[in-house]
Amino acid sequence: MEKKLLVEDHIRRNKRQTIYVCTFMAALFAAIVFAFGYLLFAGNIFIALAFAIPIALGYVAITYSISIQTIISATGARPANPRIREEKLFIYKVEDMAIAAGLPTPKAYVQDSDDINAFATGKKPENAIICVTTGALKKLKPDELEGVMAHEMSHIKNSDILIMTVTIAVVGAIALISHLVFRSMLWGAGSRGGRKGEGNIVLLVVAILLIILAPIFARLTYLAISRRREYLADSNGAYLSRNPTGLANALQRIKDDKPSGKPKVSKTVAPLYIANPFKREARGSVWATHPPINERIKRLRSM
Amino acid sequence: MIEWIALILVIIIVVLFIAIYIGYYNRIIRLENRIDNSWAQIDVQLRRRAELIPNLMETVKGYMKHERETLENVTKARSAIMKAKSPQESINADNMLTGALKTLFAVAENYPDLKANQNFLNLQDELTNTENKIAYSRQHYNDTVLIFNNMIETWPGKFFAKRMNKVTREMLQIPEASREVPKVKF
Repeated sequence: MEKKLLVEDHIRRNKRQTIYVCTFMAALFAAIVFAFGYLLFAGNIFIALAFAIPIALGYVAITYSISIQTIISATGARPANPRIREEKLFIYKVEDMAIAAGLPTPKAYVQDSDDINAFATGKKPENAIICVTTGALKKLKPDELEGVMAHEMSHIKNSDILIMTVTIAVVGAIALISHLVFRSMLWGAGSRGGRKGEGNIVLLVVAILLIILAPIFARLTYLAISRRREYLADSNGAYLSRNPTGLANALQRIKDDKPSGKPKVSKTVAPLYIANPFKREARGSVWATHPPINERIKRLRSM
Repeated sequence: MIEWIALILVIIIVVLFIAIYIGYYNRIIRLENRIDNSWAQIDVQLRRRAELIPNLMETVKGYMKHERETLENVTKARSAIMKAKSPQESINADNMLTGALKTLFAVAENYPDLKANQNFLNLQDELTNTENKIAYSRQHYNDTVLIFNNMIETWPGKFFAKRMNKVTREMLQIPEASREVPKVKF
């Protein structure tokens, strides 16, 4: 019983932290809109909003329209074949975790690669897919594969794909606004004439700093959200499979695994995977999409 | 003037109360339906599992001539599942079946020919699969019951549940010994 409580505490803590980080992201967006208005439209926030909101929505629309099919073809994945025993057992595991989560069963896909990895995608549980590498099917023990499936199912259950889609769109919008302001200031357009020369110098400096720093902070915030969601999926996965050890062992195996050759993954889909296919940081980094694998293992083992 | 304000206040309070009541009513009913639905899930898997047994018996019969008791236990457990009336009865019968199958698969280790039989291997996979699915649907059932019970035992849900004559649901109990999924060797 005590064990279970701990998992629930992890879940609660992670949810709270995600809310903080998302709030910070919204604040960043508000701040850059303010700076945008201040520098280009003589402090008229409404005109700035009239530009900024369509830009943000446009970005959301673009990232949202990237279909599952695009991601599937970017990874070269194919539907799992129930005639191959390994893949049949994988399909069973996906069904198991869907039952445990009380969600519709996602489609099972397989990607040919020696790496041990897996990802889930789909903005709604109804059309989600879970994909694993053939390496994972070969090298993971049944309870480890189950742990990985539980992690992916948790991403689906927590609507992480949707959250990350919207977040990356906001990052894009902030970057674009910042770029716009820079360009206009270089051209000498905008503010000068409008503010009748008596602009508050402090505000001006703050606004310029915001324009410079906001895109960097936005990027860092996005990465922080991504890491929080990984932790959350780990603890939710532990709760779903009632077996944190399975996932911990799987992560350990991923860490120790020395795949032959380069991962056949495009950089754009890398954040989707259970472990970053390109680098396995042992230490934490603010630039990482995933938390350090050692820390993830440690947390799972403490549940 | 005061009368008007009082009247409006009363109307607001009544409307608010009705809205909250509807909200809780729907949530309680939805949760109850989810419990029934997750029971249906368990039942589907139990039946699937029971249906695999005759097939298994057919395959095994030829090889395991001297294991009458083991085979009989499996058949007995299967008919217990078919006859079960309450959820808890079904679960108990299923636990019996799990135990009987565990013995059967352990005994099967002594029959190399049987172990090489493709049909037998497939059935073993299928039985493990349904076993896991039963375990997970049972877990989901209990998770849902927990949410439901928390809902109707804490305020303000308790207030509405009482008026709807809702009582807490029983979780499915699993004997400690059968918590472990049988390890089927390959």
